[in-house]
Amino acid sequence: MASRLRTMRENGSLLALPTISWLVIFFVLPLIIVLVFSFMSRGRGGVAIMPFTLDHYGRTFDVFFIILQRSIGLAALTTIICLIAGYPLAFFISTRRRRIVQQVALFLVILPFWTNFLIRTYAWRILLGEEGTINGLLLSLGLISEPLPLLNTQLAVLIGLVYGFLPFMALPIYASVERFNFRYVDAAQDLGANDIRAFMRIVLPLTLPGVLAGCALVFIPSVGAFVTPDLLGGAKGLMIGNLINKQFGGSGNMPLGSALSIVMMAVVMISLLVYIFANRRDAGAS
Amino acid sequence: MPTYDVELIDIVKDFESGGSRVRAVDKVSVKIADGEFFALLGPSGCGKTTTLRLIAGFEQPTAGQVLIRGIAMEGIPAYHRPVNTVFQDYALFPHMTVEQNIMFGLQMEGVGKKEARKRAQEALDMVRLPDIGARKPQQLSGGQQQRVALARALVKRPAVLLLDEPLGALDLKLRVNMQYELKALQRDVGITFIYVTHDQEEAITMADRIAVMKDGEMLQVGAPREIYEHPGTRFVADFIGETNFIPADLIERAPDGSGAVRLSDETVIKAQLSKTLESSSGPVTMAIRPERVGIAKVGDSIDSADSDQTVLDARLVDSQYIGTDTRYTARIADDINLIVRVQNTSEREFSHFTIGQPVKVYWRQSSTTVLDR
Ligand SMILES: Nc1ncnc2c1ncn2[C@@H]1O[C@H](COP(=O)(O)OP(=O)(O)O)[C@@H](O)[C@H]1O
Ligand SMILES: [Mg+2]
Repeated sequence: MASRLRTMRENGSLLALPTISWLVIFFVLPLIIVLVFSFMSRGRGGVAIMPFTLDHYGRTFDVFFIILQRSIGLAALTTIICLIAGYPLAFFISTRRRRIVQQVALFLVILPFWTNFLIRTYAWRILLGEEGTINGLLLSLGLISEPLPLLNTQLAVLIGLVYGFLPFMALPIYASVERFNFRYVDAAQDLGANDIRAFMRIVLPLTLPGVLAGCALVFIPSVGAFVTPDLLGGAKGLMIGNLINKQFGGSGNMPLGSALSIVMMAVVMISLLVYIFANRRDAGAS
Repeated sequence: MPTYDVELIDIVKDFESGGSRVRAVDKVSVKIADGEFFALLGPSGCGKTTTLRLIAGFEQPTAGQVLIRGIAMEGIPAYHRPVNTVFQDYALFPHMTVEQNIMFGLQMEGVGKKEARKRAQEALDMVRLPDIGARKPQQLSGGQQQRVALARALVKRPAVLLLDEPLGALDLKLRVNMQYELKALQRDVGITFIYVTHDQEEAITMADRIAVMKDGEMLQVGAPREIYEHPGTRFVADFIGETNFIPADLIERAPDGSGAVRLSDETVIKAQLSKTLESSSGPVTMAIRPERVGIAKVGDSIDSADSDQTVLDARLVDSQYIGTDTRYTARIADDINLIVRVQNTSEREFSHFTIGQPVKVYWRQSSTTVLDR
């Protein structure tokens, strides 16, 4: 038995084969294809053909730079708002004494996932539209005389993104606060820290892993979002995800789409590295 | 007028939990003097931690008053009270170094970084860990963490230091060493210590005074010797050290605190009455410490010139060698066994009785305490 286990361990590389081939087929290969495409020219029907060129990268940082900037900006803003709303929410839930209250609150946070994301985003169109619920309400209250332009704006995209990604911020923070030992707050107060200082010096640093995880989970998909900007943003709220999506459609430009994807990936990678670095520093600290 | 560092006046603390009410502290009144080493002793769940938390300001009393240095603490938050706590699990901040942990409290007072660092080092020197300032709490042993927690609290120079079972997590040998060190430290710094423990030996060896708690009440407050020698209730006698409880009937109660009881086999013996004894006759319990009872062979002479001495016939039913002592069980009546502890001053001591043999047991009247049943 023992020798059999040893053989299995020695053959560890063999056991890893399925994982490795899975990664190669579904991750490395497509990545290489996209990378190669991004340096090729556009052929008829948007396909990639020879010769190699840097044009698409040029255009990415030129014509489409505004959209790239907007995507990062909207994603960053989404992350910040989710953090500001999500931290107190998570804190409130995880500090409820009664288990049942916690469970119900968590259930409510997760509840939206039970409905299709597309349908939920369409619902926001109804809420934000010119003849939508919000404008209707404000008009009937006489607070405004003309409908506010809510739909097809960056604000609408922001609302949609925050709405969609808030749980991804709240849940990891919840897990962090849940694990937090409130005896440390007693200790801080015992040593003379008021509530604010105890929070800033003790609670926040010790729940930082949850905050960072939440930020990564919100920021990364927000940068590449395309359903929300497509349905709520119109032309003014276009994001890089929409652009990429379009390049792979009928009259698109696959090499350009590839270049855009690579740039977007680079942005995400850099923010991930920042995340890992911050986490490591934090791990080193605890 | 004597000055008190801490005064608790009729403190009551109720907790609501799941619709029912738990009384964690029940009408506790006590005055703790400046520089005193005061131990709160009692079994788990008797309200020791809650009492500390009421003094520290983490809990508010349901009724009654906490005074620190004569000032009523009502409405004063924990962070403004001149007390510091050594928590049961130390609660050292895991994301800070030892030095940062100790500096934290000073920085909260607005002490500058340089000064704070200097005082942190002094505090580390004081607990004899001068070189670990740069380490993280997780990199320390339990004993080291305990000392850092102590340094972190003492560096604030509080009026009162609250310690919640600070040695509870340490192994026996280290615990005994730390008892001496803590006591010496307390004498040096002269700060009032309120020390929670469920270990009676710890309380007896360290404290100037002990309060024995049960179900939220302080049953008895007094010096260790007084608590040990003159327990006021059966619970206290039982909790502090080993005690023989002999059921008896009180038949005589003299005004000077002496009396007589009758055992189940009609033997009448003289005994000392507890000051707090309520019964004036009828069923009571006579308590006597095993080490206060002597044992001798039937033929041996006992110093019976002393009229204070009680001597009873008994039969040896068990003998147990426990290192420093031998623990005998002697049957003095059909249903009454008496534990006798004799120090093993020589090899002979252990071997000169055989089980089943008739013996005599004896004690002085002043060694007994008659308590309510
Ligand atoms: N926050 C609380 N909520 C409800 N009950 C509590 C709380 N704190 C303590 N108690 C109860 O009060 C009693 C005394 O607890 P505690 O002071 O911790 O005892 P000790 O420290 O002597 O072990 C226990 O019955 C405990 O369950
Ligand atoms: Mg306790």
